[in-house]
Amino acid sequence: MLRLFKYLKPYILQVIILLASTALQVYCTLRLPALMADIINDGIVPSDMDFIWRTGLLMLGLAVLSAVGALVSNLFAARIGANFSKDLRRDIFAKVISFDLADAKNFSTASLITRTTNDINQVQQAITMILSMLVRAPMFCIVALFMAFETAPDMTWIIAVSAGAILLSVFTIMALVVPKFKIFQKLLDKITLLTRENLTGLRVIRAFNKEKYEKKKFEKTNDEMTRTIIFIEKILNLQNPLINIVFNGMTLLCSWVGISLLQKDIAYLGNMAAFAQYVGQVMISFLLLSVLFIMLPRANVSAGRINEVLGTKPKIHWKKQTAGNIERTPSVEFKDVDFAYEKAEEKVLSNISFRAEAGQTTAIVGSTGSGKSTLINLVPRFFEATSGQILINGLDIKDYSREDLISLIGFVPQRGMLFSGSVKENIAFGAPRASLDDVKNAAKIAQAADFIEKLPKQYNYQIAQGGTNVSGGQKQRLSIARAICKNPSIFVFDDSFSALDMKTDANLRQALTKITKSAVTIIVAQRVSTIKNADQIIVLDQGKVVGKGNHKELLKSCPIYQEIVKSQISEAEYEKELKEARHA
Amino acid sequence: MPKPTIDAGKAKNTKLAFKTFVRSLKRFRLAIFTAIFLTVVSAITGLFTPKLLGEMTDIAKNTLATGLDWNALGEKALIAILLFVISGLLTYISSCILTIVTAKYTRSLRNQVIDKISRLPISYFDTHKFGDVLSRMSNDIDVIAMTMHQVITDLSFNIITIVGVIIIMAMTSVPLLIISVVTVLLSIIVVGKIAGFAQKYFREQQATLGVLNSKIEENYSGQIVIKSNSHETETLNDFDKTNKKLARTAMRAQVFSMLAIPVTHIFTNLGYVVTCIVGGYFVLEGRISLGNIQAFIQYVTRFNRPINEVASSTATIQSLLAAAERVFEFTAETEEPADEAKQTIEKVKGAVEFHHVNFSYDKKRPIIKDFSAKILPGQQVAIVGPTGAGKTTIINLLMRFYEPDSGYITIDDTPINELSRAEVRGLFGMVLQDTWLFSGTIAENLKYGNPDATDEDVKKAAKISNVHHVIESLPHAYQTVINEDSDNISAGEKQLLTVARVVTANPPMLILDEATSNVDTRTEHLVQAAFEKITEGRTSFVIAHRLSTIRNADLILVMKDGNIIEQGNHDELLKKHGFYAELYNSQFKED
Repeated sequence: MLRLFKYLKPYILQVIILLASTALQVYCTLRLPALMADIINDGIVPSDMDFIWRTGLLMLGLAVLSAVGALVSNLFAARIGANFSKDLRRDIFAKVISFDLADAKNFSTASLITRTTNDINQVQQAITMILSMLVRAPMFCIVALFMAFETAPDMTWIIAVSAGAILLSVFTIMALVVPKFKIFQKLLDKITLLTRENLTGLRVIRAFNKEKYEKKKFEKTNDEMTRTIIFIEKILNLQNPLINIVFNGMTLLCSWVGISLLQKDIAYLGNMAAFAQYVGQVMISFLLLSVLFIMLPRANVSAGRINEVLGTKPKIHWKKQTAGNIERTPSVEFKDVDFAYEKAEEKVLSNISFRAEAGQTTAIVGSTGSGKSTLINLVPRFFEATSGQILINGLDIKDYSREDLISLIGFVPQRGMLFSGSVKENIAFGAPRASLDDVKNAAKIAQAADFIEKLPKQYNYQIAQGGTNVSGGQKQRLSIARAICKNPSIFVFDDSFSALDMKTDANLRQALTKITKSAVTIIVAQRVSTIKNADQIIVLDQGKVVGKGNHKELLKSCPIYQEIVKSQISEAEYEKELKEARHA
Repeated sequence: MPKPTIDAGKAKNTKLAFKTFVRSLKRFRLAIFTAIFLTVVSAITGLFTPKLLGEMTDIAKNTLATGLDWNALGEKALIAILLFVISGLLTYISSCILTIVTAKYTRSLRNQVIDKISRLPISYFDTHKFGDVLSRMSNDIDVIAMTMHQVITDLSFNIITIVGVIIIMAMTSVPLLIISVVTVLLSIIVVGKIAGFAQKYFREQQATLGVLNSKIEENYSGQIVIKSNSHETETLNDFDKTNKKLARTAMRAQVFSMLAIPVTHIFTNLGYVVTCIVGGYFVLEGRISLGNIQAFIQYVTRFNRPINEVASSTATIQSLLAAAERVFEFTAETEEPADEAKQTIEKVKGAVEFHHVNFSYDKKRPIIKDFSAKILPGQQVAIVGPTGAGKTTIINLLMRFYEPDSGYITIDDTPINELSRAEVRGLFGMVLQDTWLFSGTIAENLKYGNPDATDEDVKKAAKISNVHHVIESLPHAYQTVINEDSDNISAGEKQLLTVARVVTANPPMLILDEATSNVDTRTEHLVQAAFEKITEGRTSFVIAHRLSTIRNADLILVMKDGNIIEQGNHDELLKKHGFYAELYNSQFKED
């Protein structure tokens, strides 16, 4: 939490104004009981109406001043709080956006989202609390203590007794409740989980006739949670009556002690009432602080999670400007590339070498976990190779600036991801200067033009957040169009045809050949029909290249490739394919 | 201490929601009335402390000259202690009663919701979002749990306190009472106005926050796209705009909501000062005693809080009713018609027949038109067609998730709507594309359809389903816990587990949704092999995505745009040169 305080620095002047106005409010408010005691002692007892008037007007002035102080301090608390969280939110968002995938890998997307939304809210609330309560309560406490001492020095021990009683009861209750509260939170999560399971597993539950079983399982957790919350609440319910009893007891004690001191000094007649009010203030301050100490640890956890993101040092260092000669004919070359995730012992990729030429298609195949996706993620330098070299257009990717390297590559991720905005904006995402014709052309090649033109408003159709208003196959086609529109010299497709039906898949590949004549094409794919015609197929198994060649060559020589093909076509067709391969 | 305000919006029909809510509390009637009664008594007993303290001051002042009357003082002090301790005790008892009532009431609401989920027709969930149901279960019931107790105590305690304080004040001095009532009313009016503004800005803030949060979510999930298109600057600029707007609205909302406290303070202090002046004057005049004025000043401070709380609890009651309304709305949804079993099937052979079945989800768009087919025991039926063609509809009808509009389906010549739903569903084992497993161990998941299965049975099923080796290689083997974010098990392996689950249940017939889009080719091969093993000798329905796998099916139903456009076996369909032939050939087309 403390580390985030540096975000208050630009607002230091405002913080000072806030402190000053709070002090004004505190002082003015706390003068009032003393003046009331004066009215009793010097006005009522000696029957001096003039004094009562004078002191009354003074009190009125102080009341107004204290309100002004409160207004100003609140205004600045709100200002500082809002700006503080704005700055912090911007920094964390900018940081996350600047992350390379290698950095982002340390956090899940969901966790990054929580950190930018929930955690910031927690911290913002804590800051507002600190600016209003944590500043005010101790001031109230200290000034009230002083004034209490001034009005009735013989009674100050009452403060110690009553504050002690309050603290003791609050902390005992918390000590009993907090551990149970964690259990409660877990049960609450479980209730949500079970409800979600009942919804997502609806068909399975009904298909297996397990409705009653699921209900019983739920009721068991529900009972347990009910028991826990009753236990917690029974203890928490103690808090209010206890505080009330302590308050009343304290006031009574003040009167009792005040009265017994009356014979020594008649001024206690007024002073004991004022004193009781001061002690009340001290106790309220303690209560507020105890609430704060319950809230702050939570905010502290959030602050820690935010700092974790802000403190992440980028793993990949980019050159500011591209240094070196870029060949005019596009090519991608891997030279003895190894890759392992940070802290992981096993290599995901080892000793990968191949060269992908312009005008050719290089397909990468292999089972899940063989490292296909990782391999192509190395091309745009989303991850850094552990050793070896990757050359694009003859130049090591480490010698490129980020912008220059990215502008060469049209990368289509596995999941078709879209942004809220129009279809046109989505397609022109990587090519802001593209004209509507460019966009239309890209859509046509990606086999997306047909369905776009059927949409209301066509290219101005608004895509909803997460692309929920288009189907999975349409999303994929739009993200392919996005890559085409960029007009790159290197295309990378990460299993990007999987949601398309066979026919669209075939048409799309046909149309692509026209624009990939002078470009390098690298595809990760599962379907034999997709990879069959690739110029070069690289078969990966457990991070190693186990076969390299075209369909026919690999069918003859590579057992893993044979297995992949066999799993997709019938025995007879396989025999036929194999025969053709042998005769070629 | 400021209480958290809970804003869950307003009920659509407040009156009705209130009535339903009160009626639903009927069985807790006695407990609630007892709690209210105890609260009232506790509020009354709590009222007297300042009065007694004032009387003590008077006794002291009057007897000071003659030596303090400690007996009389002690008596008053003792009564005061007795009263505030009793008051505290009663408060505690009554809040415990309400705690138990609230906990039991919300427990029964949760059980009702979960029960309702199992009673609603599948069609309800096909047309409503899960998140909506989920939020009723968690958010709305939470709101009820948090506010119900508070509303009941606050209302009863505060109203009694206000009335009691007014009575005691009136007994002390009517002019002073008028002064305090006027200042409190003034402060309520002004604070109400401010709250109106604050509410408006809060809504604005919430809306902006919503926009910002969805931007964050969208950009974080699409980061790979932002990176691969160098779109960082534009994204950040766009974010900045909304972020700045949020800071502006948040500040306004904060200022206005925080304004309420100092404004209340001004009025409180004003009342305090005026009471001091006028009270001092009255004492001098001899119209009121010093002790009484002291007590009065204390009552003034006790008067403000309950009034403000009653004023703010209207918002809380609104939230409570809105939440309750949403829960009741769900529990009142129309359930699946009761299930009457007119017949049962002793030993199923597995003959399934569709008799002129018509069906539509939406009356305007018929999905299945006059569909008839006869499937002999042990035969395999494949359903093929492009995505969205309505392949699962057939399954939905077969499992009685939906009922046909006309026509009927028979199993061994018995119409399935004369069997209980449970019996029909028990006849089929289902492997769905959605590989749903619940959080629990693998063994528990595999026994799901057959709780009596032994560990040996489970192992055997896993071996048949080609997943035994995968399970054995996990750190805790069959005792490995699967949960939502378990990444030790791949999608394909999950699919194999669902196959093993069906094998363990050992049903007479099978429904298989060949899910292969998330599965790599080698795992797919394993799934395929497992399917072949378990369909042997069982009537089975397969939704096929790869045409190569279903050539041996006895009956192929080809669906397009919700209609069955062709049916027959592989060879017959190829000869037709229709849609099936086109689909089949495109799979192996040369570019």
